[in-house]
Amino acid sequence: MAGKIKLMIDDIIARRAKGNEIMVKAMKTKLVLKGINPDKYTIRSEDDQAIIGKLEKILQEL
Amino acid sequence: MSIRIACSEKNIADDAVTELKNIFGATPLKMIVYFASSDFVPQEISATMQQVFAGATVFGCTTAGEIISGRMLKGAVVAMAFDEESISEVRVEVLENLSKMMAVNEAFCSFGKYFGESMDSMDPSQFFGIVLVDGLSGAEEQLMDTIGDKTNITFIGGSAADDLKFSSSHVYANGKAYSDAAVLAVLKPGTSFELIKTQSVSPLGARLVVTKANAEQREIVEFNRKPASVAYAEALGVPVSDLATCFPRHPLGLLIEGEPYVRSPREIAGDSVFFNCSSVDGMELTLLEASDLVGDTKAALDCVLEKLGSISGVVVFNCVYRAIELDKKNLADEYARLFADYPTIGFNCYGEQFIGHINQTATMIVFR
Repeated sequence: MAGKIKLMIDDIIARRAKGNEIMVKAMKTKLVLKGINPDKYTIRSEDDQAIIGKLEKILQEL
Repeated sequence: MSIRIACSEKNIADDAVTELKNIFGATPLKMIVYFASSDFVPQEISATMQQVFAGATVFGCTTAGEIISGRMLKGAVVAMAFDEESISEVRVEVLENLSKMMAVNEAFCSFGKYFGESMDSMDPSQFFGIVLVDGLSGAEEQLMDTIGDKTNITFIGGSAADDLKFSSSHVYANGKAYSDAAVLAVLKPGTSFELIKTQSVSPLGARLVVTKANAEQREIVEFNRKPASVAYAEALGVPVSDLATCFPRHPLGLLIEGEPYVRSPREIAGDSVFFNCSSVDGMELTLLEASDLVGDTKAALDCVLEKLGSISGVVVFNCVYRAIELDKKNLADEYARLFADYPTIGFNCYGEQFIGHINQTATMIVFR
């Protein structure tokens, strides 16, 4: 399977930033500091359970 | 509206706090932030500050040197006092036993009840958070990570220090001194504010990808699938035996949209390199070179001055590595003078916080 990480990242950024550009940047920064660089994932990126687990934890807080 | 500063170089807590009280006078105060040398007995300075400023929310921490407008001090206590107009609302929570548990949820529930809105819905242009954390706890990354998952407001601050003794550092609130703890304060200032993160480094070309790390120990075992010390030395073009001497001038950084989040190397052990900040597998770090610390800091302050129009107060969380570099280059006075025109307090810390935990940086709160 592929693409789940990209979809989850987009979902997190959209829900947290609500279109605010400053918040988009802050959320991307938080993800990079967790070791998840949003720019490196595309719809073709392989699903990695370790990364998905980290993203699920963030989604639980939303 | 009034933000005022005071300092005392007396070395007994009672005398020092009395001097602060005399400077601040009888005006009712809403909040006092203070930074005190680790030479003070922690319980004494915290209890005395709370007792003398009983009507105010009082919090602070220990330092590796203090900053007040135009001066860098040792063995002193510096304080900033806010009246009702300069701080509309403030609430402080203490997280204890950081290394065992991280009770951020409970603290955030308390903030939510106090402010009447949940932390995840607070407006970052109206609110921000201050974080002061035991700089020997090693818990900053997890703390900032957890905080960042739960709110959009920015938490900024520094890691409490102990004058490079590396024995015990403390955070202060509620008239008590805490180790292995963090003080979180959520503020709604009565004026506009800007938050600064400034670091004096330039990226060089080399990239080092973390291929094996022990994040909890802030250890990097491998870069680019090579022993970390070997890959780091190769990137610099020096023998491994000379690598440690290059650390202050050549830290590494996570570049996020061109902005460095610095990781300062601390020591080499075996093939590993230990840092003052953790990195995880897959992170791409960039080799950095130290640049003009005084000039870059001035530029950051000037930029914010232009945005705000005027500055009524600055709180500086300055990395102790920066303070050491300033001392070595005999630039400490010049650096301190950057803040001479603004009511400023600050301290030299064991790590800085701005969204995450970082090194070799100055983070600042600037009030209009």
